[in-house]
Amino acid sequence: MILTELKKGEKATILNLSRTTKLVQRRLLDLGVTEGEEVCYKCALPFGGPCMLEVCGQCIGLRRNEAKEIQVVRT
Amino acid sequence: MEVALLGNPNTGKTSLFNELTGSYEYVGNWTGVTVDKKVGTLKKQMGQLIDLPGVYALNPISKDEGIASQYLLENRFTSALNIVDASQLSRNLHLTVQLLEFGKPLVIGLNMVDVAKSRGIAIDVNQLSEELNVPVLPIVARTGKGCHDILNYFSLKNQHVSHFTIDYGEKIEKAIENISDLLHEEQLNHRWLALQLLQGNRVVLDHIKINKGIDIERIQRIIQELDKHIEEVEKCSLVRTIYSKRKHIIDDILSKVITREKKSDLTFTDSIDSIVTNKFLGIPIFLGIMYFIFHMTFNWIGTPVSDWLDGFFSGPLSGWIGQGLQVVHATPFIRALVLNGLVAGVGGVIVFVPQMIVLFFFISLIEDSGYMARVALVMDRIMQAAGLNGKSFIPLVIGFGCNIPGIMAARSIEQPKERLITVLITPLMSCSARLAVYSLFAGAFFAKYQALVVLSLYVLGILLALVMAKIFSLFFKHEHSVFVVELPPYRIPNAKTLFRSTWDKSKGFVKKATTFILGGTVVIWLLSYAGPHGLNVDIDHSFLALVCGYIAPLVAPLGFGTWQAATALVSGFLAKEAVVSTMSIVYHAPHSGTLTGVISQAFTPLQAYTFMVFSLLYIPCLSTVPAIYKEVGTRKLTWFTVTYCVVLAYIVSLVIYQGGRLMGF
Repeated sequence: MILTELKKGEKATILNLSRTTKLVQRRLLDLGVTEGEEVCYKCALPFGGPCMLEVCGQCIGLRRNEAKEIQVVRT
Repeated sequence: MEVALLGNPNTGKTSLFNELTGSYEYVGNWTGVTVDKKVGTLKKQMGQLIDLPGVYALNPISKDEGIASQYLLENRFTSALNIVDASQLSRNLHLTVQLLEFGKPLVIGLNMVDVAKSRGIAIDVNQLSEELNVPVLPIVARTGKGCHDILNYFSLKNQHVSHFTIDYGEKIEKAIENISDLLHEEQLNHRWLALQLLQGNRVVLDHIKINKGIDIERIQRIIQELDKHIEEVEKCSLVRTIYSKRKHIIDDILSKVITREKKSDLTFTDSIDSIVTNKFLGIPIFLGIMYFIFHMTFNWIGTPVSDWLDGFFSGPLSGWIGQGLQVVHATPFIRALVLNGLVAGVGGVIVFVPQMIVLFFFISLIEDSGYMARVALVMDRIMQAAGLNGKSFIPLVIGFGCNIPGIMAARSIEQPKERLITVLITPLMSCSARLAVYSLFAGAFFAKYQALVVLSLYVLGILLALVMAKIFSLFFKHEHSVFVVELPPYRIPNAKTLFRSTWDKSKGFVKKATTFILGGTVVIWLLSYAGPHGLNVDIDHSFLALVCGYIAPLVAPLGFGTWQAATALVSGFLAKEAVVSTMSIVYHAPHSGTLTGVISQAFTPLQAYTFMVFSLLYIPCLSTVPAIYKEVGTRKLTWFTVTYCVVLAYIVSLVIYQGGRLMGF
């Protein structure tokens, strides 16, 4: 399943990040976001706006279309 | 001695810098506050401390990160001070590992131990120091706790060089060795250079290229071969493999030094976020906060104090100075210069200091609390429609204080196209200097609705900036937008930081008024005092009136075709406050009362509003132009920025004035 299919507040483990844009991938890696990390989908802003995630003990904001490229599995 | 201060973004480097040097540099609670290298003198005159922009790794993505990498390559500093966020150890240590590989003496300042503790993270400092083989000093940079130990450490003569190496596995180690052999002419640590090249660090590659004696092609062949091999064997890229090796070692170290207590941590931040980043409330709350700030600035605190100050300047103060000048038998020329020129001109600007202080206080509050990053998140969707991303909104908000730091703040935007467009539109942001113009006009014409009128100008600035951004982005090749933003936990703003930050910004305004504006005021006054028929002429026959009388017809279709308005706009290019100081001189008549009174005779409300709009947009001030040039890099684009602002201002003002007249205002 993909990250944006999670419900608000649900947790999942990241399976695959390789389909996101190269620069986004690098930035996520900088923040410690890699395959195998646990992610919590916190909320999304309206009209296809960005979503808020909690991962590696920090909160990050990410575009929805990028989040749609992240594959996860529910924990 | 030269010490370089390095660390992840938003870990408190600048707070520590201020503590260690006793100076004040700009601090805030979001990623990308420091975008330039800053130099300070360590207390006790021990040497220099260099504050660098925050980086996650030494391989830069954005322009500000490039500055930090460049510094490492080009400067022969004595040692590095790595500030590490104790509540985010794992991520922070990736940078530490790379700094250890660099091979210079290193000391770690373990910051935010208090935050970590509140999240139930306990760190064995001695164990961490032993594992990494470097000194680790726990500190709380915001309060200054533990900073003394760092100073004491630097006063020791022999500093510790760490020997910390990670075994990256046979194949990678072999490649490191081969590349190192080719780098023998380089002064810097060969192993570090080789590893950075393997990670695809462009800044390091460009640095190596300068050295003609190095066989770049062979190095690149080694990297390509290794990359191919790793891809086949490990099924993942070389960069990721190096990352994983480091992560493995870091996790191993952390398992020995960290003890976690189960504690629900982010609750305070969570509950605020559930409101301010709420689906429906996010944007209304942001606008509400802005409106509240303007209401405080104009209706509740700022204006009443300003009015009192204005009355004092034009009444008792002018009286006292006049009497004083009479006592010392000053010539009429000097008396006129001081009273009609300096007191009226500079005083006309100084009276707005109370409003500035209130506005700057709230901007500082937003910066220090952590709300700034949320603004970027909330605004991202709108910015996306304009061809930008939410991070571009941060330079715009900073531009409300002053356009120059706003333009520089664009450096933290990852994508070059979005960075450039953000620089181009930031001059449309209504800076505090323009606030002086609004205060004057809104106070004279729209006393009851001041906050609303001024808010409308800020919103107009933002809207036009977005429209222009959309238009500009059509001229660029479509590139994938990048928006990843770290949302730091909220902090209760520190009273000391708030006070210093507000003071620092207000100080700039006062300083400009008493130097730049003062000089300009003297020139303007002299031109208004002298004419073709000698000195002390009637102001309507002065050089000023003659020259600016030629410009006036140009702006006549906008509703303010008087030579007085034209003069104010011309001098406004020097600094936007000069519009006010100039008006104070050109409309100054003996016993005419305050400037507000004279202005309300000279303009109609529609003309006044149009004049405010024109002042908002018409040109970036003289000090902003070099800042734009520094960021865009070409004269052509700098000229373009100045020109499009003038054209845009003219068109928008024309539409407002003529449209307003048709509607019968």
